Amino acid sequence: MEDVILHYQPGSADGLSSLLQTTERLLEPFTRRPPPVFKPWFPTSPGDHRLPLRPAKPAPRITSAADLLTVTTCQTENKPQRDISAGSAAEVYRACAESPPEKTERETTAPSPTTQPQTDTDVSPVRRSWSVFTQRRVLLQSSLSLSKRFRHVVSVQGLHLRQRAKWVITEDNCRDIEKVWRSLSRSVRSSSLPTCNANIQRERAEIWVFCDVLYSEQVGRFLKDELQLSGRISLSVHKLGNIFSL
Amino acid sequence: MTTLTRQDLNFGQVVADILCEFLEVAIHLILYVREVYPSGIFQKRKKYNVPVQMSCHPELNQYIQDTLHCIKPLIEKNDAEKVVVVIMDKEHHPVERFVFEISQPPLLSISAETLLSHVEQLLRAFILKISVCDAVLNNNPPGCSFTVLVHTREAATRNMEKVQVIKDFPWIVADEQEVHMKEPRLIPLKSMTSDIVKMQLYVEERAQKT
Repeated sequence: MEDVILHYQPGSADGLSSLLQTTERLLEPFTRRPPPVFKPWFPTSPGDHRLPLRPAKPAPRITSAADLLTVTTCQTENKPQRDISAGSAAEVYRACAESPPEKTERETTAPSPTTQPQTDTDVSPVRRSWSVFTQRRVLLQSSLSLSKRFRHVVSVQGLHLRQRAKWVITEDNCRDIEKVWRSLSRSVRSSSLPTCNANIQRERAEIWVFCDVLYSEQVGRFLKDELQLSGRISLSVHKLGNIFSL
Repeated sequence: MTTLTRQDLNFGQVVADILCEFLEVAIHLILYVREVYPSGIFQKRKKYNVPVQMSCHPELNQYIQDTLHCIKPLIEKNDAEKVVVVIMDKEHHPVERFVFEISQPPLLSISAETLLSHVEQLLRAFILKISVCDAVLNNNPPGCSFTVLVHTREAATRNMEKVQVIKDFPWIVADEQEVHMKEPRLIPLKSMTSDIVKMQLYVEERAQKT
């Protein structure tokens, strides 16, 4: 440091010592501290500018076995495998949307990917309400085995063979509706019931089994025999109500 | 052999159509193979002459369709660099990233008689690789979800308007944590070079998934 010259007013020599002290204090170097590392608040590397875009909406969750989600099962049985073209998802969706209301308003408990498929014992903590399945094996012989009585009903009512129909199993048909439901779910999963899907209406204590009119008689017989149902079960179609019983 | 620019015959649109169609199939198949959704919601279909699995859950199908519908303009204009199908764990941290890197040549050399069949063969190979990729990947933890990320060649914010095609399907810039993965393992699956598009697919897999 170079010499420092202190100028003071005449007559103030008495306070010279304190003046010197003040001056010395003022001339002391400032305490220093290392400056913090500069962290920019904006991205610096070119890569940071390029964060990708994503839909704000999350993908739908269909994982939890407890969740009941709306699923429309689209049947592809009896149709040759076809190429899905652009917008094919839309086609599937449209096809589903065009089906009768009872078909589109289905709910399912889709099994979690991590859960094992239900075993024969069917001891599942989850109370399934809907079943979803992939139709693999189709029993085509049934198309030839419509009874005369059922053919008559179909022609009188003007039903389309691909129209959906509904079998209703009530508590009158069985002792334990939950047991019947479990057996039915097994059958549906093993594709024993062509074009079928089913749900249980617990508040009504009913099981509804949906199928194409074409297979409804076969399905009805299967339900009665395999599930050992007693009494009569009735088949209904949208708008017309009950049209047939077994 | 004819040399065309991207503007001729609107080839950008043709490429976008082909790629989005392929991506739709690929996304469905990835979700099936990696068990993001229960197998019960998938049905077997045929595409590129090979069996594929396609969801029949309308909500999921609509989501995938909306996503691709929004991505299409970016691909059409060659603005999309990568389309990434990210599989995330319950905490929304990525566990797997299926990265489709796309590159389109500025000049297109096209021989009409081989174009579509050749591209279809190449895309089929991608599909086949995806369908067997579970053999080289570790199992994912339960409760995974997915999202689709689009990396653009320019800053994402510049492309925000282009991607905002559907009113009820907004897009946002992804968070850092959704993009980056700790110690990823890189698994190349397939690459292709055709007259109209170059593409490579690789998987980034998180080392510790659980």
